[in-house]
Amino acid sequence: MGEHSRRIGKRIGCAGIISAAAVTLGLSVHHDLQVTAAALTPASIKQETAALRQEECLYRAIRLLVPKGATVYVNAPRFQPTQRLAELSTSWAVPQASLANAQYRLSLVPAHGYGIVPFPLTGTPPDPAHGQCSGVTLEVRRR
Amino acid sequence: MRALFVLVVGLGAPGLLPALAVARRSPVVVFLAPLIGALMAAVAAVIELGLGGSLPADYAAVAVTANLAVIAWWLAAGRSRPQWAGPAREWSVVTVVVVLSCLAVSLNALRSPGIGWDANSIWLTHAMMVYGGHHELLTGLQNVAYQFSNPDYPPLVPAAGALAFTFFGFANLHLAVDMTVLLSACALGVVGTGIAATGSRGHQPARIAAVAGAGAICLVGFAVGALAIVGYTDLLWAAAAVGAVIWGLVLPHSPQALGVAWICAAVASLTKNEGLTTALIILVLIALRYRPLSRPGPAARTWAERVAFVVLPALPGLCWAGLIRRIGVHDAFFRSASTESPLTRAGATIAGMAAHLAVAPVALAVLLAGCWFLRADRQRAQLANPAWLWIACLGSLVIIFATYVAGGLEIHSWLLNSVNRTTIFAQVLLYSEIAIWLVIAVEGAVSRADSEPFTRTDSERSRPQPPVRTTSDQLRR
Repeated sequence: MGEHSRRIGKRIGCAGIISAAAVTLGLSVHHDLQVTAAALTPASIKQETAALRQEECLYRAIRLLVPKGATVYVNAPRFQPTQRLAELSTSWAVPQASLANAQYRLSLVPAHGYGIVPFPLTGTPPDPAHGQCSGVTLEVRRR
Repeated sequence: MRALFVLVVGLGAPGLLPALAVARRSPVVVFLAPLIGALMAAVAAVIELGLGGSLPADYAAVAVTANLAVIAWWLAAGRSRPQWAGPAREWSVVTVVVVLSCLAVSLNALRSPGIGWDANSIWLTHAMMVYGGHHELLTGLQNVAYQFSNPDYPPLVPAAGALAFTFFGFANLHLAVDMTVLLSACALGVVGTGIAATGSRGHQPARIAAVAGAGAICLVGFAVGALAIVGYTDLLWAAAAVGAVIWGLVLPHSPQALGVAWICAAVASLTKNEGLTTALIILVLIALRYRPLSRPGPAARTWAERVAFVVLPALPGLCWAGLIRRIGVHDAFFRSASTESPLTRAGATIAGMAAHLAVAPVALAVLLAGCWFLRADRQRAQLANPAWLWIACLGSLVIIFATYVAGGLEIHSWLLNSVNRTTIFAQVLLYSEIAIWLVIAVEGAVSRADSEPFTRTDSERSRPQPPVRTTSDQLRR
């Protein structure tokens, strides 16, 4: 194979690599743009903002309704929707694995007509002082 | 904006001097400084757990110590500091602008303030513990009621979140997510600037391709790690580990590249457990590539070099892993024995991982074509043998595969919940490999002959040539 053929072969190889790389990277970039656009629809932003406000409401409700340093038992601790209460109690109350060791029992009561799964989220304005957080109410019972 | 303020002032400013000491005028400094700041915050969290104190006090102590050490080294090293070898300032500026612009496109999604499941149950919870001080952190991690939160996970992300809460309080819980996403973007920035550096010695078309590849990889990173935008940390460790591979196992030998690679490996090791195992693999490969293990010399010195090259960058991560076991915390994946046979688990794992590695055949084809047609061009660019990158990729996949097979959780639901995230490292690495071959192919297409040398860097052109000390000479000393 002569030098000329070798150079042509190399050019073809370069073209193949450039094409494959451009298409592969281009498709993935396009996918990212689609994912970003999907996250930025007004409906998506509204939904995520409402969910964040609800979570922050529960965070504040725990601090308003439970004394600092109290031991708490989260009702159904292995149940994902109520697990959030243990997470949001962190650095304020001390979650316990057993009800027997807890001073307070925390649970979430869904709004009328809703179940706890899927996690209810309504348009009701959050009221952390009364534990009412847009579709769920934090219930605190002293044991 | 608040998270950006914490990133720049709280993490970037204390990390700037160490970043400049490591990477000099390279564009990577912009992205490396906040990562170094986060690294120092993580070390502070390790101290908080192991010795006591609070995050702000421990972080201040670590940051001041690190910066004083850098100043002392700077003064002591004087003129013997390695010279800067990189692109001209305008190319550095173009690289930074393109990479930042591409990152901004993905970061735009933060306008939708979603918080993912792990972001809540693991990272926000741990950030609150770190924020609470030594007692809160220790009792929180040991509390069985928090077992769901994987208490053994490393502290880099919680420390960054806790630092943000120290600045602005808990008025906005999404702040911790913002910090995680911005740090992931910085890690991708390090990968991007590494890819840009592969073309910095080439002709103008190759440089343009390299900068375009740098920008593309930032978007690709957020595409394969889509959950990163809601606070998952897998993209952070994966991108940091890819950064370690690019700077330590692809770019030409240099003290700067080695320093950047070590920092990236340390960031990966302090972000997630799989980041630690992957970082150890990468650090061993870097040690082999830079050959401290086979260099002649007294046995004591050889052993010291082994420690420096493999263990030292991973020391904070190893310290955390040791501490966490000492306080009686163990990971959730091996607590119970699996009821499924290893064969069933292996088959499901292979199928699960393969579904997320669709880029692998393309990367392999590009590798074969590149090795066939462009091996000489790659050598002239002084880039390392691609085998290093592929060994790092396969090594990480083997460890993750073994974890799935040996773990105790039900394999199908475990894969369903995690395999899209545990393969991010391999995916971003293979996309980076494709981008690097793209740069070499563009350079190969425009260079007139195989014998034509790569053009010297702009800063080398403007400098009197002899005597130029090669980086390999510096490393042999």
